[in-house]
Amino acid sequence: MSKPPDSVTGDTEAPPPGAEQAPPESPGDQGKAKRRVVHDLWLSGTEAPVDTGRFTDEGAQEMLLEEEAAVLAGQRGTLVVDDYAAGVEPSTEQTQIVNMGPQHPATHGVLRLQVELDGETIRRVKPIIGYLHTGMERTGETLTFMQGPTNVTRMDYLSPFHNELAFSLAVERLLGLEIPPRAQAIRVLMTELNRVASHLLWAATTGLDLGALSMMIYGWREREAVLAFFEKTTGLRMNHNYIRPGGVAADLPDGWEEDVAAIEETVLAGLADYEGLLMENPIFIERTHGVGVITPEECLAYGVTGPLARASGIDFDLRKAFPYSGIEQYEFDVPTTEHGDVYDRFIVRFEEIRQSLRIARQVAETMPLGDYRSEDRKVTPPPRARLDQSMEALIHHFKIFTEGFKVPAGEVYEAVESPRGELGMYLVSSGGAKPWRLHVRGPSFANVQALPVMLTGSLIADTISALASVDPVMGDVDR
Amino acid sequence: MTESPPEAPAPSAAAGLAERFGKMVGALSATGDFGTARIRVSPDRWVETHRTLAEHLPFFSFLSAIDWAGEVAVGDPPEGDVEERFEVFTRLSDVSKGEGVIVSTDLSKEDPRLATLVEVFGGANWHEREAHEMFGIFFEGHPHLENLYLPDGFEGHPLRKTFPLLSREVKPWPGMVDVEDMPTTENVEAGEPEAWEEGE
Repeated sequence: MSKPPDSVTGDTEAPPPGAEQAPPESPGDQGKAKRRVVHDLWLSGTEAPVDTGRFTDEGAQEMLLEEEAAVLAGQRGTLVVDDYAAGVEPSTEQTQIVNMGPQHPATHGVLRLQVELDGETIRRVKPIIGYLHTGMERTGETLTFMQGPTNVTRMDYLSPFHNELAFSLAVERLLGLEIPPRAQAIRVLMTELNRVASHLLWAATTGLDLGALSMMIYGWREREAVLAFFEKTTGLRMNHNYIRPGGVAADLPDGWEEDVAAIEETVLAGLADYEGLLMENPIFIERTHGVGVITPEECLAYGVTGPLARASGIDFDLRKAFPYSGIEQYEFDVPTTEHGDVYDRFIVRFEEIRQSLRIARQVAETMPLGDYRSEDRKVTPPPRARLDQSMEALIHHFKIFTEGFKVPAGEVYEAVESPRGELGMYLVSSGGAKPWRLHVRGPSFANVQALPVMLTGSLIADTISALASVDPVMGDVDR
Repeated sequence: MTESPPEAPAPSAAAGLAERFGKMVGALSATGDFGTARIRVSPDRWVETHRTLAEHLPFFSFLSAIDWAGEVAVGDPPEGDVEERFEVFTRLSDVSKGEGVIVSTDLSKEDPRLATLVEVFGGANWHEREAHEMFGIFFEGHPHLENLYLPDGFEGHPLRKTFPLLSREVKPWPGMVDVEDMPTTENVEAGEPEAWEEGE
């Protein structure tokens, strides 16, 4: 460590005790004056932002907006704000370093936060990751393009369809494969319903973290309707391996239109309940307004995407900016808000659930007829009935699943809008049946990296709120 | 809330995009194959290139690397000859116009060094640490080039093609126990064909 970043000195926003008072004559007077300040502040509630580090009361719960802006200004996009905890001596005896995680229940997995506290104020945050690192990029190099989706679907385990879709799109781009309209529509339907399920789970766990215990049960209940449909379609509740290069694994089950309609009805009814429960709840508002703020500039510099960026006012949705799988033919809005705090992330995600259901309804109304997978025999195995009649079909089937198919040499980047943001796959083929390199741009990775920006200078109690609002999936961060 | 969606860039559009930005930064090459706009620059112009592009493409998506090697420890060797090198690449985009570019540069394997991008994009921090531990590429000027995923003191760089997947070498694939050994030629010649016939 050559030089400590400036933000370290910049975030001591609380003036030393008694700094604004007249200098006391003796130590005894100093103690009295300090206690007087504490007492006055206790009585007055939310007035002067004095010495918030030393005690907890209503006043200290307020975010100190002016000071926070100064801290964030120092970090704007150009300065690295984490990772220097080891190199800098704590400047006062008041600071202490607390570890949250990796087993902390509110970290949504095995995320560890090292937090340096000055009283209750967070001076620095250092996210420590890697507890779930499984080397999936390297594993991807040892599996064929056919086996690839089984690997990538386990990364972001709350949005498996998006993982599969990004991988399949990349492979198909290299192959130059045309996907039938019905397969494309099925893909859109499944990914949008997956977004609904993921946001519902997020609302449930975040509600739990903020003390809204019933929210946890409700969110899980509505999500169950979506998962039941997934199970009916793919046979599995997660890690489906349903979207594959060339199309999807199976056609939709009979009566799927009614299922989608039932999901829409159930979730929309639940959504109205959640908004009544949370969005107008004074306790909830206190815990989310002005908490975990991130500005649009910081979002761009740190690569923050998804609902976080949209809550900060960036109108960035890959479904609009880089449309995929024919999603541009459906009508939907991209909700944005301007405050960039936890409350706005709730607004954005709830609205996204509505928009995803809107897309799902349009898909159900306009589902094209046709095949659910490509006719290209290079990537599509023969139908099951053919295996009983034709030796060649059997051999072909066998070879596709053991040796895989060769993909032309090239490099391609394909990204989809996952519930957490830009989920991209950079796929390199050297002309063989296995990828030469598979790099996954995980949205949670970039979002978690920006946690110090959101948390520095705020209160320790807000950590839970801000962290939950990021919706980190550690399988996606660590891969 | 949004305007009408911009058209998805066709392959030719990607080539045009690469050419436009390539000209801006004096790129070595600019291609648009497979609908992905890519420009290649020399390593000494790495930071300068990103600083110029950041004005037009402010969104930093990711940074990573590729190990181009003729020999591999695991998996299939490359089809055809490859030039031994590391390729470092980033993705920058403009979120409002729907334009995105891959910027890449080649590094020698003997001394893979590159200037850091954290001055330009704060978000490059973790990505460079990941590339450092996974490939052994040094990013000069990085404030904290320590392991990100791997434990301290981990030896080797797991995403290099020479890195063996030890778990498979130490412990054979457990599925193998289900498979009966095929009779060898020696068995048959020594008059032990029982194993062969029992099943019939």
